[in-house]
Amino acid sequence: MSQNSPHRSEDQAAAQQRFLSLFLRSEREIFRYVAALVPNVADAEDIVQQTAMALWAKFDDYDPALPFTPWACRFALNKARQWIERHQRWRTLLDGGLAEELARRREEMAPELETRLKRLENCLTRLPKEQRTLVEGYYYRREEISQLASQAGRTVVSTYKALQRTRHLLQACIQNAGEPEGNKL
Amino acid sequence: MKLVFPSHEFDEAVAAVCHGTASDEQMRLLNELLRRDPTARDEYLVRVELHARLASESDLFASVASESPDLGSGAIRGEFFTQGRQTTTRDPVLGSQARWMLALAACLALLLGGGWWARYRLLDDRPGATSRAVAMLNRVVNAQWTAADPQPHLGASLEPGTLRLESGLAQIVFYNGARVVLEGPAEFQLVSSSKALCRGGKLTAEVPPQARGFQIVAPRMDVTDLGTAFGLNVTGARTELHVFRGNVEFRTEPKAAAQNLKEGKGAVVEGAGEAQIVAADPRGFASLFDLQAKSVAAEAQRYDRWREANERLRHDPSLWIHFDFEHGSPSDWRLPNVGSRSATVPDATIVGCQWQEGRWSTKPALEFRSVSDRIRLSLPGTFESVTLATWVRVQGLDRKITSLFMSDGFESGTIHWVIRNDGVLGLTVIGPKADHQILTSPPVINSDQFGDWMHLAVVIDGHSKRVTHYVNGRGVSSHALRFAPPFQVGTAELGNWNPIGFPGNDPFLIRNFSGVMDEFSLYGRPLDASEIQNLYTGGRPQTDVPTVR
Repeated sequence: MSQNSPHRSEDQAAAQQRFLSLFLRSEREIFRYVAALVPNVADAEDIVQQTAMALWAKFDDYDPALPFTPWACRFALNKARQWIERHQRWRTLLDGGLAEELARRREEMAPELETRLKRLENCLTRLPKEQRTLVEGYYYRREEISQLASQAGRTVVSTYKALQRTRHLLQACIQNAGEPEGNKL
Repeated sequence: MKLVFPSHEFDEAVAAVCHGTASDEQMRLLNELLRRDPTARDEYLVRVELHARLASESDLFASVASESPDLGSGAIRGEFFTQGRQTTTRDPVLGSQARWMLALAACLALLLGGGWWARYRLLDDRPGATSRAVAMLNRVVNAQWTAADPQPHLGASLEPGTLRLESGLAQIVFYNGARVVLEGPAEFQLVSSSKALCRGGKLTAEVPPQARGFQIVAPRMDVTDLGTAFGLNVTGARTELHVFRGNVEFRTEPKAAAQNLKEGKGAVVEGAGEAQIVAADPRGFASLFDLQAKSVAAEAQRYDRWREANERLRHDPSLWIHFDFEHGSPSDWRLPNVGSRSATVPDATIVGCQWQEGRWSTKPALEFRSVSDRIRLSLPGTFESVTLATWVRVQGLDRKITSLFMSDGFESGTIHWVIRNDGVLGLTVIGPKADHQILTSPPVINSDQFGDWMHLAVVIDGHSKRVTHYVNGRGVSSHALRFAPPFQVGTAELGNWNPIGFPGNDPFLIRNFSGVMDEFSLYGRPLDASEIQNLYTGGRPQTDVPTVR
C-alpha cells in the first residue's frame, strides 16, 4: 500500500493516537527507570524524549498483548546507554557494569521502594513550610536554583544543601512512618 | 582518596549527582564505592528513587501546592529552559515516513518537553483550584490603587479583601448582580458576593431585584438594599446615605431597629449622634454617574493613540506585514496588509472567522472559533531576523497546541509560533536537515487571563542567534538558537496550521486558535526590548492594565 494513500494516513493517525496514550501513561515510570542511571532531571528528560522517538519508530513491532512499560524500558536502557557513552562524566559514574547492576537491583527492590514511597505524599505535607516551598519550587515548578536561592535569600550552594537536607528528612519520614519514635517530621 | 559508606562525603556525592553538579572526582569515587559495596548501592538507589519521584509525580504536590504556578508574575526569567528541548530526526531524506516522524517528533517534544504538559494537566484537576472570587472589576477610569497592595487589573476576579483606591473611578460587579462604583480615595472591603464594608470614600450602588438584600456596612450605617440605587459618602466620622431609586433599610447600631428610607430621602449620621433625615442629593455623586461616559471617552482616546502610533510604524521599512484589522469588512474575504511593504506582500485571505469587537468597542477584530477558521497569507523571501507581534484575546486552550502563526508544513527555515495548553509560548524553528528546535517560555498564560487582551511577541535574532518571548511588553524568556539564518515564512496561517502532507483530519494535528485577534505584525528585523514595550504601551486597551501579570 502506498504510504500516501488516505487509508495509510488514517492507520498512521490511529497508531499515533494509540502510541501517545500508551506512552503518556508510562512516561513517569520510564523517567524513573532512566533516572536510576542518570539522576539529573534535565538529562533524564532528554533521554526519555529520545526514547519516545525510538519507541514510535519501532511501534509496529510492539505486541499489544504485552505490557507497554517493560517494552519501553528496554528502549530506555538502550537510549540511556548511548547517551552515557557520549557523556564522559556519566560514563565515569556508570562504568564497569554499574549501569546494568543498578537497573537490575532496582527491579529487585521495586516492591519495597513502592511500599516506602507510598508515604511520600503524606510526608511532604508534614515538611516545615520553608522546606516545602523549596521542594515545590525545585521539583514541581522547576525553578532555577539561582532563583530559588534569591527568593530564600540564600546562596546557590546553601540552597543545594537545603534541598539535600530536605530529601534526607523525607527519606527518614518514609522509612520511619509508623514508628513514632523515629519520626522526625 | 576513597569514598566510604556511610559518610558525609557519600551524602554529598549522591546529592550532587541528583542536582547535576557532581565533579568528575565525585563520579569516579561513587562508581568505585557502588561497585564494591551493595549496602551503599541500595542506599543510593533509594535516594535516587526518592529524587526521581519528586521530579515526576506531580500529584504528590496536589495537596501542598501553595500557589498556582503563575510563573509569569515573577521577574524576567531569562534562560528558563536552558536545556532547550531539542530533538533531531537524523533522516536526511524527507520521505513520507520521515516527515511523519518529524511531525510526531515536534508534537512529542512540545507535549513532553520538560513534562510540563502532564504536570499542568494534573494541576488543573487539583482540589482547591476553584476560585474564591466574589466580584469582578469591570470598568476603571484613571484608577490609582495604593501602591503597596496587589494591583487589580481590569476584568480581574476579586476575592474577599480590601481595595484601596487612591484616586479615579472603579466599578465592581458583585456576583449577585449588585454594581458598585467607587471614587478614590476610598477603602472598600469585599466580604462576600452580597456584602461589603466601606471605611471611607464615596460610592454609588445599583442593586437589581435579584440582588436584593445586598449589604454595605459603613461606620454607624449598616445598609441593606431592597432593590434600588443609592449613594454612600463616608468622610471621617460622618456617613451620608442617599436613596435615588427604590428604598433601603439601615441601622445605625447593630442592635438598633431598622429604619426604612425611601426614594428621594437621605440619612446623615455624625459621631455618636442620631440619624438626621434629609433630602437625597445626587449632585455630590455626579462624577460617579459619569463613569460610563468617562470610560467611553477614555477608550476613544486610547484607540486614537493606537492609530497615531500605527501611522508612525507605517514608515518602518522592515514592517513587512501589518494587519491592523481596520480595513476589512464582513463581505470581504481579504485582510489588507497596511505595512510599508504592502506593495510586494499580497493581502491575506480570511477563511471562516467572525468579525467581532476588538480591544475597543469600535475596533474591528476577527474571532477564531471553528476548526476551519484561519487567515492565510504568503510572504516571499528570506530573513536574517524576524519579529512577530500580535494582540489577542485567548478564549481557551483546548488544543494541546494552539497556533498563533505557523508556516505551512515543515519546510527548512520556517517558523511555528504556538501556545501549548499549559500556557507555555513556543517557537519552533525548522532546521536545514529536517531537524528543528523548540524554544519554550515558562507557562505565561493561565485561565485567569482568558478573555483579557494581551500582547504577545517573539523575536528571532539571527545575528546573535537568540529567541526571546514577550508577554505584555515584558521579556519572559530568552534562548540560544541552534540554527543560523536565513529564516522564511512562505505560505503561513494565523490562528491555524496547514500541515501539508499530513492528514488534516488527525485530531493530533489540529491547531486552531480559540480567541480573537485584532492586530498582527511581522518585522524583518529583531525589535529590541524597548520597541516591544512601546508596541505594548501604544496599543494596550486600558491605561489601567498593569504591565506585569
